[in-house]
Amino acid sequence: MLKVALIGCGKSADMHVGAIQRLACARLTGVCDVEPLMARQLAARYEVSNCYSDVDTLITSEKPDVLHIATPPESHYRLAVAALEANCHVVIEKPVGMNADEASRLIAEAEVRSRKLTIAYTYHLDPVARMLRDLVGRGVMGDPVHLESYFGYNLKGPFGIPILGDANHWVHKLPGKLFQNILDHVVNKVTDFLTEPAPNVLVHSWQSADNGTPRLGRDLPDELRVMMFGKKSSAYLTVSSHARPIRHSLLFRGTKNTALLDFNSSTIRLERDSILPGVLGRLSSPFSEGWQCFREGTRNVLRFVRSDYHFFSGFNYLVSKFYESIVKDLPVPISYKDILRNALILDQIVEQLHCATGRTS
Amino acid sequence: MRVLVTGAAGFLGQAVVDRLVAHGILDINCFVRGTSDLTGLEEVKRENPRARMQYVTGNLLNKNDIRRALVGVDTVYHLAAGMTGAPASIFSNTVVASKCLLDAIENRPTRVVLVSSLIVYGTSGLNADRLIAENTELDAHPEKRSVYCHAKIWQEQLFREPTKDGLRDLVVIRPGVLYGQGNRNRGVPSRVGITLGNLVLALGRREAPLSHVRNCAEAVVIAGQNKQSSGEAYNVLDDNLPSCSEYLRRYKHDVNNIRVIRMPFPVAMLLARAVSGYHRFTHGQIPAVLNPYDARAVWKGHRFDNRKIKDLGWRQVVPTENGIRDAFADLRSTSEWLHVVGKCQNLPIAEDAPLALSSKSTGDSINVDHRSVASLGVSS
Repeated sequence: MLKVALIGCGKSADMHVGAIQRLACARLTGVCDVEPLMARQLAARYEVSNCYSDVDTLITSEKPDVLHIATPPESHYRLAVAALEANCHVVIEKPVGMNADEASRLIAEAEVRSRKLTIAYTYHLDPVARMLRDLVGRGVMGDPVHLESYFGYNLKGPFGIPILGDANHWVHKLPGKLFQNILDHVVNKVTDFLTEPAPNVLVHSWQSADNGTPRLGRDLPDELRVMMFGKKSSAYLTVSSHARPIRHSLLFRGTKNTALLDFNSSTIRLERDSILPGVLGRLSSPFSEGWQCFREGTRNVLRFVRSDYHFFSGFNYLVSKFYESIVKDLPVPISYKDILRNALILDQIVEQLHCATGRTS
Repeated sequence: MRVLVTGAAGFLGQAVVDRLVAHGILDINCFVRGTSDLTGLEEVKRENPRARMQYVTGNLLNKNDIRRALVGVDTVYHLAAGMTGAPASIFSNTVVASKCLLDAIENRPTRVVLVSSLIVYGTSGLNADRLIAENTELDAHPEKRSVYCHAKIWQEQLFREPTKDGLRDLVVIRPGVLYGQGNRNRGVPSRVGITLGNLVLALGRREAPLSHVRNCAEAVVIAGQNKQSSGEAYNVLDDNLPSCSEYLRRYKHDVNNIRVIRMPFPVAMLLARAVSGYHRFTHGQIPAVLNPYDARAVWKGHRFDNRKIKDLGWRQVVPTENGIRDAFADLRSTSEWLHVVGKCQNLPIAEDAPLALSSKSTGDSINVDHRSVASLGVSS
């Protein structure tokens, strides 16, 4: 049985605890937050026996095998190093560090100490994302030509309101502000499929309306468009805080077929050339789409019945595979190469954001 | 005498500021967030030019912001709390924010009027015919209740911890479900019925524990002003309250044509067991919105005693009948549909031309055909 501890009892903590408590091979024994009340409330709600307000005390007392870090990004590197030095395997909330350099040094540290490390990509291993990888692996999609990753963000939601209401919220202090905290969700959906190791990146962002932050003396760009392109494939990334309804999706256009992944309802639909000629092909196309919708809906109902239709299915799968990799000494579910590649692309985007706005508040 | 009102821009906060002014307390620091809608407070200001209201913009998790707000203040009306969002946000904005407030107050001779809730009582194990007075114990197992209830219980306990100089000058107000004009929570209160879309499972003939926002604000101010109230707690709810069934019947008639199904308490318990069992079995595939312990505490049908606040001199400023009538009229006039229509009024619509809007827009996708309004692709 692996002993597990969690640092950071904020909004992401429930997702981590939920994923840990599903596992038969792990037991969460301690939680830690700089604010003792936050650690106490999490421990009370999930029946965790010990809570701490100091990381060193947590590590010394609990001696965890695995440490989950769900704190604000600027502390990730320092806490992860402390965990690795204490011979813990580490699960880190995204982004893995403040930049690719921190990510690279953490990975090196993990490898030197023969510890495993992963990053909490919520959608990377979502059931539909895994299905797409399977289709690509089997050659159904052909080679990737163009991808569009869309991420809707609700500034009036549980994560957005605290940012808008507090001039000192840690998000305002990140170089890439709001986007730096959520870009991993957008980027990691496409990096697998881009053939170039370092694609060119063009960034455009703006603050589309008065989102309230100027009253705080802060600017908070809330619309982002990123164009990434190489010699054989391209990607377009969108983060929108104002378009409704709020959706998370990925469009994959391959040399053979196109797939549309809806991460909200967990469905995947393929667009193929019709086998029927002319007008018959055009007439049959909506029926084909309707049939796919029906099939995906039925599949999700069956998943629900099997209790496999959780909001954080992708994260639960990631955590279970990560723990399996520890117990059976298998490769980690997200390769370090992918983590680093994402971090490098994030660096490029953040740098351009910084240059474009030319202001820090 | 200067007072501080936290959560001043909220539903109750605006009413408390209004009643403070009505009671002649004119120097008021209104603690608001940077994103707060100040329309209601501006209206109070306009209607009461004598009032010397100051906005203090900040976050209760920041002690420096609170210290700025506390300058010259001798009474704090602490109304701010996290009511929605992630569990961590509710705890943070309710319990941690209260801790920051207490830290900022330090040893100042400051009276605190804390607005808590009727839900904090440990009613789960009490008989339904028991009248719940202020001396009823707080729930000993807050972790088995809703996150909001859990946070409110911890908040009260935090304020009741003795300081090094002894007990704090604290008054606790425990209102029922707030209603009234301007309520942003537009649905049926969960203590009255469970809402599933247009269907409401009604919780029977028991009394709906309601408190009109202005009546509650009056109680907050009266208790805050009265020196005898130090160390005391007060239930605040209106007299002559309707039963849950009666409330829903009128809601259906006056506001929205909801479908109501009466749900006897044993059925409600079965539902709570099913939901919590399924939540456990599936490791959280559906949220644990119901559990038997919380259902017993909330739905058993306890009545609450409001004699103590009356003994302090509180009287309803809005009769229950008028309050419900006006609240329902307000709900009806500002219902969601009319909100959508209101958006359309600013669109350049030709006299008789149908107009279709779609695409990703900041509002909803709608079809307008001059006289009728129908929706297309409105997010649920």
